[in-house]
Amino acid sequence: MNAQIEKAIEILKSGNRQAAERALETLQGVVYGFGMKVCGSPEDAQDTAQETLIRLARQLREFPDARALSVWLYKVAKTQCLMSRRKSKFAPSQMLSLDDLMPKESGPLHTAAKSWQIAPEEIVLKQELRGLLEDAILALPKHYRLVLILRDMEQLDTREVAEVMGISEETTKTRLHRARVFVRNALGGYVRHRKAREAKTHG
Amino acid sequence: MADRRCKRIFAMLSDYLNTDLPVKNCRELERHLEGCAPCIAYLESLKTTVEACRRYQVRKIPAPSKRVREALLKLRSADF
Repeated sequence: MNAQIEKAIEILKSGNRQAAERALETLQGVVYGFGMKVCGSPEDAQDTAQETLIRLARQLREFPDARALSVWLYKVAKTQCLMSRRKSKFAPSQMLSLDDLMPKESGPLHTAAKSWQIAPEEIVLKQELRGLLEDAILALPKHYRLVLILRDMEQLDTREVAEVMGISEETTKTRLHRARVFVRNALGGYVRHRKAREAKTHG
Repeated sequence: MADRRCKRIFAMLSDYLNTDLPVKNCRELERHLEGCAPCIAYLESLKTTVEACRRYQVRKIPAPSKRVREALLKLRSADF
C-alpha cells in the first residue's frame, strides 16, 4: 500500500495542525493524481479529489486501521472517477483478448520487440512518450485501466487491487497482464515510427 | 512468436515479472527463454513498460479546494 497515504492519515489523526497541512497536500496529490490517470481530465480529477477527501474527513473516526482506510480511499476515488464524466474519456467496456494482443510472427510487433530500445526514464521524461503512455492508458477499457493504474502506478499489491476492484486476485492478474501488453504494444508504435524517422534522416 | 510454447509463455510474463509465478512454471519459462530471442525481447519491453508506469507522475497538482481544507484541517486529535 502507498506508505504516504498511511502516514498522512496518521498525521491528520494526531491533530498536529502544522503537519496536517503537509498531510493534506500529500493526500490531494495522491487522489488528484489517481483521478488524472483514470479520467484524463483536470476538472474531473479535482472533483474526484474534493469529493473523496471530504468523505475521508467523515470516515477518519470509523477506521482505526490506516491500511483499511487507504483501501477505502481508493475505492471511493475509483467510484468518483467513474461517476464524474464531464470531460473524461472512457473507452467502451470490452474484453481484451490475449490472442489478439500477442505479437504475430514476422509482424511489425515482432520486429518492434526485437529492436525495442526505450529506457523507462525516456518514457517518463520525453513529452512525446509521456503523451503516448497517457493516451494508451486512457484507451484501455476502464476495468483494465483501473487495475493497471492501481497495481503499476499506485503500486498496490495484487490483494489490495482485488479488494479495491471487488474482484478475485486471479481476475486481477489476468486483467493486469492484458492491460500491460496493450500499453506496451501502443508504445511499440513509437519505436516503429522512430526507426522509420531515423531511416529517413540517414537514408 | 506464434509458436504454441511462446503463446503459453506469453500468458505468464506478468506473473513472472511480479514474482507471482509458481516455481514449476517459472522453471518452464526460464528454460524457454534460454532459446527464444523474441520472447526475451518481449519480456524486456514489457518490463520497461511496467517500470515507466511506476515512474510516471502527474504534473501540476492544484491546491486542495477550500471545502476540503475546511473538512480535514478542522479535525483535532480529540475527535478520535
